[in-house]
Order: sequence, then structure tokens, then C-alpha cells
Amino acid sequence: MTISLRSPLGIAMLVLTALAFGYLLLPILVVVAAPLGDTGYLAFPPQGLTLKWYAAALHDTRYLTALLVSLRIAVISAIIACALGVSAAYALTRFDFPGRRLLEAVFLSPLILPTLVLAVGLTLFFTRTGLLAGPWKLVAGHVIVCTPYVLRVSLPVLRRFDRSLEEAARNLGASPVAAFFLVVLPVVRPGIVAGTVLAFITSFDEVVLALFLAEPGAPTLPVTIYSAVQLGFEPSVAAVSGLLVLATLGFMLLYHLLGSVGRSRN
Amino acid sequence: MTTAASGSGVARFAPVLLFAPCAFAYAVFFIWPQASLLAMSATEKAGFTLAQYERFFVDSYYWEMLGRTLWLGFAVTAITLLLGVPTAYLLARSQSRWASFLLLLTTFPLLVSAVVRSFGWMVLFFRDGLLSRTLLALGIVNHPVQTMYTMTGVIIALAQVLLPLMILTLHGVFKSIDRDLEYAAMSLGARPSVALGLVTFRLASGGIVAGSLLVFSLAISAFATPSLVGGARANVMATAIYEQAVELLDWPFAAALATILLVVVLAVSLAYGALLEGRADKEASR
Repeated sequence: MTISLRSPLGIAMLVLTALAFGYLLLPILVVVAAPLGDTGYLAFPPQGLTLKWYAAALHDTRYLTALLVSLRIAVISAIIACALGVSAAYALTRFDFPGRRLLEAVFLSPLILPTLVLAVGLTLFFTRTGLLAGPWKLVAGHVIVCTPYVLRVSLPVLRRFDRSLEEAARNLGASPVAAFFLVVLPVVRPGIVAGTVLAFITSFDEVVLALFLAEPGAPTLPVTIYSAVQLGFEPSVAAVSGLLVLATLGFMLLYHLLGSVGRSRN
Repeated sequence: MTTAASGSGVARFAPVLLFAPCAFAYAVFFIWPQASLLAMSATEKAGFTLAQYERFFVDSYYWEMLGRTLWLGFAVTAITLLLGVPTAYLLARSQSRWASFLLLLTTFPLLVSAVVRSFGWMVLFFRDGLLSRTLLALGIVNHPVQTMYTMTGVIIALAQVLLPLMILTLHGVFKSIDRDLEYAAMSLGARPSVALGLVTFRLASGGIVAGSLLVFSLAISAFATPSLVGGARANVMATAIYEQAVELLDWPFAAALATILLVVVLAVSLAYGALLEGRADKEASR
């Protein structure tokens, strides 16, 4: 550390950093802790201690149904975004053709487009053309939002990939397809997995497209929570949100753990 | 150039075949809908019209709303910079193994839906919530305050939603700046604070601008947090678009509002691109 943490500047930076972490974690802590309270309304810090709201949340079929809808849409969207993104990223890094840079810019451009603008456009589009039905409207929207994330993670990984490995496989008689699956894919897999996980999380958490495009009778989990929060403050909504936070924490730790196991094995 | 690109006709079309599915999906579900949105905002039965845009620009209500939206963007960017710069710097320079754990902790809120995080703030913001009681206890206010349904509330909540993105962007920037440059400046007699200002923050300024513009454009187009925490009383562009489309079913006007928001976001991105280019030119001419 160049800056002494005991100097006034160092102390100021430490204080601001501590504030930043407190600020980042406070609302998440509230969501997990508030439903532990024994009062009929949400309070933080919670008064009393009960698990009845968490138990109620686990038995509420509305949230369970919505969770399944969200998981299904996120899995389908992530798989499609992964297939589209990785094949496009391979074409963009492996070949040189006119318009390549423009195409890359277009493929990444949904990252800067406000999701709400995309949602309004897609809703009008689906109403006018009558294309797609059921959950597929939302999947189409999520694929457009998620594919840039897959591209952004897999493009640098594919660029760094040592092409002579692939050429060696080709010289030894492997077809281009075989060379891709046997040589390229195993090396770039961590990047592709990370991109797909990012796509899954983006779709799972996304609320704006889901508000516009989800099937009227089958809202996703964020939409269900959004509507319930707007209607009032039942502790069970907080308990569902709390469970979601805890599940996310578990998911993140597991991914991190698996990642470090994979790294140490290689 | 390569073995796969030369040779048979199939290989020549390989790149096209590979990006075609992605290009098709984008053409149908991205470019076409956005183009028809643009068209809808400027047409009526008689043909081309700017009536929807006129409605926006002659009404001071909408000017105020646009101003409120930009204010939200500036305030959120300022807060995330104030907290993000020191945090990212300390995490990037720390040798402690806690640094990687803290970085992981920074990404964690990003994985939690903005709806859930905004909800956490709502519990704190109500008149009898923790924030009001803390301010009362500290003697800063002498009657309970309602932060819910105010712009202040939206700013506090949205800055928390976007802070991780600022920290992660800046962390990458600070990591890429060699710390030896700071030592060099100090060995030449600069005080640590001067070395930090003249060397590190100067080199990081491009990344700081990038992070700020990212946070700014996300802040002015955010919907969930303004809608939940701000409600009808803190109306911004995003909530107005939703209201026009879903509640009032005025799609042409919603389309015009969406186009205006899009133009603002694009202007911010172009300014960013121009800034980067100008910087590159300046470096090159040195």
C-alpha cells in the first residue's frame, strides 16, 4: 500500500470504504432479517423472533409457481443466448470478413439500450405481428438482453485462445467441427460457463421485460414480488425475498467454490 | 489466411453460418421492433407527424420530469463515485487475502434482483422506519421524516443498486495502473496524496469517466427502483413511459417518450466515445 492507512487521506478512504460496504449490504440484511420479527408488520430491526413468515413463504403456492416460471424462462433464455452468443463470438474472432466490427458493435448494442425501451418496442411488435405465444415472447426479450453478456465474456476468451492448437488438430486430420469440440471448447469452457451463468442470473432477476411480456396468468418471481410490494407490506413477501437472497448467496458460494476447485485441479 | 477459411465453399461460408442465427434473432426481436417503435412515435393515420414530440416539448411538466431524471442521474453518479473510488482503490492495492473476499461481497448485491433491494430500502424509509428513527435520535430532525415517495429516497436506493458496477469498473482500472508509478512519484519528492492525485487518478481518469457514464445511463433508464421507492410523486422518464403504455394505453406517446430517453442515453454513449477518442489523440500527439 503506497498510502499509509494512518494518514488523514488513508483514514478518509478507509471510512468511505466501510460506509460503502455498510450501504451495499444494509438493504439486503433488512430483507433477510425483517421477516424474522414477530409483529404483523415489517420492522427493522425485527422485534421478537419467529420463523412463521419464512414457513408461510415456503408454503405459498403463488411464489412457488412464479419461481418455477422464472427458472424455466431463465434456463431456456440462457441456453439460447449461449448458443447464439458463442457461435457468433467464434465467427467474430476466428474469421475476418467485411463488416465484422460493425456486426460486433450491433451484437453488443443491447447493453446500452434501456430495457424499458426494448420492452415497449417488443410489446408493440408482438401485438401487431401476432408472432410467438406463451412464455416465448419473454424468452425472445431475455435472449436479446442476455446474448451481449455471453458475447462480452466469451469474445476475449476466444481472442486469447492459441489458434495453433486448433491448427495442429486440423493437421492431424480432425474436421473443423471435431477440432472445435475436442480442442477449442475444453480450453474456453470456463469463459462460456461464466457467460451463460451471467445470462441465467440476468434473466432470472429481470423485471421490466417480464412486466410487459410475461403471460398474464404466469408472472415471473420478480414480477410477483414487485406486485406484492406495491400492494402492501405483508411479511411473507419479505420472507420470499429473504429466501431469494439466501439462495443467491448459496449459489454464489457454490460457484466460487467449484471455480477454485476447478482451478486447482488444472 | 487460415486452413479453415481457404479451400471448399462450405468453409468460406462458415462465418456467415455461424453468426446467422444470432443476426436473425437480433433482426427480428431487436432491430425490427425498435424501428417500428421509432416509426410509431412519428406517424398517425395521415402520415408523418411530430405531434407526440410537440406534446412533450411544449409542456413544462415533461421538461421538469426530464430535469428530474437527469438530476437523478447526476446525484446517483456522484454518490457512487464518492464511495466507489476509495473502495475500488483500497481493494485494488490491498495485499490482504480479504481483498478478494470483499470483491466477491461487492458482486453479491448485483446478483440480487433490484426489486428485492429496493424493497429493503422501502422498509427503512417509511415514517416509522429505521432511517427516520435514527435521524430523530441523532437530533438531526425533530419530527418523523418520510423518505418513501421522495426523490431523496430514489437517489439513495438507486445509488446502492448501481454502486457495485462502479466499484467493479474502477477496480479493474486501478489494478491496471502499476503501483510502482506511485512509488516513483514519491521517491521524486511528491507527498503520497500528491502522488495519488497526479499519477494514479490522472491515469485512471478515463476509467472513472467510463464508470460514471455507465452508472449515469443506467440511472436515467432504471425503472424498478423509481417505481417502487418513488411512486407517482417522484415521476421520472422510465416510470412515465410505463404509465403511458400500461395504464393509459397511449402507445404513440409512450413510443415518443421511449425515443427521447433512448436519444439521451445514446448522446451519453457518444460523448463517452468522443471523450475516449480525444484522449487517445492527445496521448498520441504528445
